[in-house]
Amino acid sequence: MAAAAERVLGKATSRTGEHLLGIVTLVALGVSALFSLVVAPPDAVQGEVQRIMYVHVPAAWLAYLSFFVVFIASIAYLKTKKTRWDRVAAASAEIGVLFTSLAIVLGMLWGKPVWGTWWTWDPRLTTTAVLLLIYVAYLAIRRITDNPSRRARWAAVIGIVGFIDVPIVHLSVVWWRSLHQGPTVFRLGGPEIEGTMLLALLVAVAAFTIAYAYLMTLRLRVGRLEERAAREALSPLVGAER
Amino acid sequence: MRTLRRSPTGLKDAAVDLRGVTRLFGAAPALVRVDLAIERGEAVVLRGPNGAGKSTLLRIVATALSPTYGGGSVLGFDLAEAPEEIRRRSELLTHRTRLYEELTARENLELFADLLGIHHDLVHGALERMALADVADERVRTFSAGMRQKVAVARVIVRDPELLLLDEPTIGLDDAARTAVDEMMLHASREGRTLVIATHQAVALGLAARVVTLRDGYVEAGS
Amino acid sequence: MTLAHQATLIARKDLLIEVRGRHAVGTLVPFAATVLVSFGFAFGPGRDLLERVAPGLLWMAVLFSAVMASRRAYQTESEDGALEGLLLAPIDKAAVFLGKAFAVTVELLALVVVVLLLVIVLFDLSVANPFLLLAAFVLGAIGLAAVGSLFGVVAESARTREAVFPLLVLPLVAPVLIAGVRATDLAAAGRSSEVLSWLGLLAAFDVVFLSVGVLVFGYLLED
Repeated sequence: MAAAAERVLGKATSRTGEHLLGIVTLVALGVSALFSLVVAPPDAVQGEVQRIMYVHVPAAWLAYLSFFVVFIASIAYLKTKKTRWDRVAAASAEIGVLFTSLAIVLGMLWGKPVWGTWWTWDPRLTTTAVLLLIYVAYLAIRRITDNPSRRARWAAVIGIVGFIDVPIVHLSVVWWRSLHQGPTVFRLGGPEIEGTMLLALLVAVAAFTIAYAYLMTLRLRVGRLEERAAREALSPLVGAER
Repeated sequence: MRTLRRSPTGLKDAAVDLRGVTRLFGAAPALVRVDLAIERGEAVVLRGPNGAGKSTLLRIVATALSPTYGGGSVLGFDLAEAPEEIRRRSELLTHRTRLYEELTARENLELFADLLGIHHDLVHGALERMALADVADERVRTFSAGMRQKVAVARVIVRDPELLLLDEPTIGLDDAARTAVDEMMLHASREGRTLVIATHQAVALGLAARVVTLRDGYVEAGS
Repeated sequence: MTLAHQATLIARKDLLIEVRGRHAVGTLVPFAATVLVSFGFAFGPGRDLLERVAPGLLWMAVLFSAVMASRRAYQTESEDGALEGLLLAPIDKAAVFLGKAFAVTVELLALVVVVLLLVIVLFDLSVANPFLLLAAFVLGAIGLAAVGSLFGVVAESARTREAVFPLLVLPLVAPVLIAGVRATDLAAAGRSSEVLSWLGLLAAFDVVFLSVGVLVFGYLLED
């Protein structure tokens, strides 16, 4: 399983593989835009505003997918001590922060016309906000720790503990909110999602996931270069130890 | 960071067998490709100017730090695989005494003994030997640096570890405390314990069979 | 030498130091009291509003105090490098985590008693079901202490520790805050059956964080 993943990573991380993935990403996003803006019909109740969903939901999906990757990579790092896993975790966290922020901002932009207010402590948005704070803490710890092995280890612990915490946070917010049902409950997905809309949503999610993979390969390549540069700076002293 | 695990060849029954140990703090190298081989029962002195890496080396042998590259074994146990076994059999003595201010000398030692499963009688004996019996029940917060170091030495006596690692243990101490440390070292050496001492002190030098000199993280001589 | 025994020794040591240093009484209680009075100024003087938000204010005070108490638990270890002493002791590192978490829990509960009295007086909090109320605080304190004792290590060693520790702890303990306030609110109003599900959530949080803490604490301590 690990060997297969490494082979895929290997293919994706060659420059041609990277360029190819970039083109695929562009095409996928283009197709998704087409579906979201043209093919899918406007929502019966909310109108055109509802199209934000086609960016908001994939962004939220990626926020959680990225953190899942951080979680797995953190465990892998603590088990194997291989810096490659630390790089994966760090890269996924950086990308994850972007998508989490995007999801929250879009959620607010969507909520304002629909609910009349910027923030109603909707369970999923609230949990995503907490997730953002945990991401920020993860990145903050990485920034202030200058000892690389300690940085990797501490970050890994936060990645693991944070991920386990998120479902508990979600559950508590859901229960908390259920005490105060508003007069109308607008689920951000709309009361029903009819066929074409669902298709457009799935296309959007797929496109964004491909974009995530592309961004990861970019960030991982930068990470590898950084590490190689650091190692070369030391190599007259340290020799070719790996 | 990856540690290179090689099985130590060479010395059988070595107290310390380090190979290619490199330790970086951020980008700054504290130790670079250090090899160190010490036999059981040997007394070795580490010399070198400030910043040469003596403290770092002692801490790596004690497993307080792990090497960035390289590795080895201490008392037959691998640094990376079995640090707890090494910790069980060695003691690191530095100017940081690792005592709790609000506890008395006796309480500090008894806590230590309890954690290690050592009987309290040994604590009593060690306090007597270090002439601390009358202050044993006062809080460490009231102790001078010299007295604190004597408590730390008492801890070593209670422990009686196979491997003693001493990092400038007599810096800033008064004569009584210095003598206590010297006596403890001599006694340990006579009893066949292995000692690695970073110091400029004459007594230790007289005791040592070998001197290892470090400079800028490299071993200059004596490995 | 079981894990429980080692953890008990460490907890006892922490509580002994606390009693002697009187940090909790000297700093935490005045801090919590100041926070509550400040809340009074911020949300008062109308008693209706204060009565309604009393549970929330109570838990906010406890939360901030938990951050302080956890940080304090590790400050005693930085006196003269005692934390390294725990690292080098051949004990189960998880015992350090559990021992400290237990000690911080006890300190928080002592604080809760005082804070509860203050809130009843200042904000008219009614206490229809004291038993469930107490249960909520015990479970909540355990959860806060677990997270604080886990990451307290980081707070003590990292450079800009002041900012990063609360940033780490507060998002993670959001469920404790939510569940604690709800449970307190419902217990104060006497709606016992609803309190139980919130207590269940708190208990689940505690179990999860204590278990995960036991598994990962060693990684935070090592270097």
